[in-house]
Amino acid sequence: MRKYYLLLTLIALLVSSCEKDDFCIEPITPNMVIRFYNATNITQTKSVEDLSVTPEGFDELYSNANLDSILIPLDVTSNQIIYNLSSESNIDIITINYDVEEVFVSRSCGFKAIFNNVSVTSDVSNDWIIGLTETLENTITIPTIDNETAAHVKIFH
Amino acid sequence: MLKFFIKTCLLILFVNVSAQQKNDSIPKDSIVYKTNYGLRLGIDISKPIRSILQDYNSGLEIVGDYRISKKWYAAAELGNEKFTTREDFTNSTSRGSYIKIGLNYNSYKNWLDMNNEIFTGFRYGFATFEQTLNNYQINSNPLLPALINNVPITVKGLTAHWSELVLGFRAEVYPNIFLTFSGSYKIMVSLNDPVNFKTHYAPGFNRVYTSNTGFGFNYTISYLIPFRKK
Repeated sequence: MRKYYLLLTLIALLVSSCEKDDFCIEPITPNMVIRFYNATNITQTKSVEDLSVTPEGFDELYSNANLDSILIPLDVTSNQIIYNLSSESNIDIITINYDVEEVFVSRSCGFKAIFNNVSVTSDVSNDWIIGLTETLENTITIPTIDNETAAHVKIFH
Repeated sequence: MLKFFIKTCLLILFVNVSAQQKNDSIPKDSIVYKTNYGLRLGIDISKPIRSILQDYNSGLEIVGDYRISKKWYAAAELGNEKFTTREDFTNSTSRGSYIKIGLNYNSYKNWLDMNNEIFTGFRYGFATFEQTLNNYQINSNPLLPALINNVPITVKGLTAHWSELVLGFRAEVYPNIFLTFSGSYKIMVSLNDPVNFKTHYAPGFNRVYTSNTGFGFNYTISYLIPFRKK
């Protein structure tokens, strides 16, 4: 009987050592969170009508949406990404510059990137975007983007 | 759940061992069958087989034990290993050497002069190794291109200390030649991780699971150098 228990234990050990115990559930590379606000009443969010978002050189992320916040990925292979944001066929261009830092997460998730010294600039044409700060300036700097829990950039329009 | 199962099995084993000790109080037969005492040396044959099947892995382990009493054996294992861990976003290789020392207790009551064992044991293990991160990919939004780094990064001078519980079967297949199959459950005591990375595999410990535990299997063939009979 004892032999039988030992054999069972060894089989249990054998089976368990092959099973994957680790799934990627931790947050990976964060996207930039943008929230749209009303330029005439800066504490109020305001949805953008007919919003389209396209990173320059890549496929469109949002098309003809009606949203008050968006998530946009940053390119980890570069230090710059340019986004075309259009609302009712008025196009504004925002340029994002940043440094990429690689951070190890876990066995299953591997490495993620976080972004430091992020600067966001919108073009001066002001087709529909009026400003990026509460004083409606065209540039904002963010020390680091390492999570998606709150908006990183406010766009006033 | 697994820990609970192992504990339960160990409990069953020890209960049986203690039950057996009670039987020892029965008056013994006047004929005493003598068994060999000596140094037993062998090698793990699972590692060379793995080296042949998977050219990116290799290893050698020498095992030895010395019988110190009727049921107790001092045991040690010495080995060297190279193992590549392939994950979804990283590929890393550990290379290094290890030593394990401890005791085995034979809970099997042999008939006559037979010399088989069902043993439980404890080991202290120590490894010194290096780990190379061969390549990795940044886990980022799939809508944009991924960053893949192929420049290997090697971190040397890593160490690991652990404790190990062993369960095994040993059979004397020819006079003084033994085949052993054993499994072990390991608990890491201290482990170095490379800066901004993790040790995925420690030689001797095998894969380091998230709870800092590990499993091991040995299939060994060994020869007993008999010093005396008693």
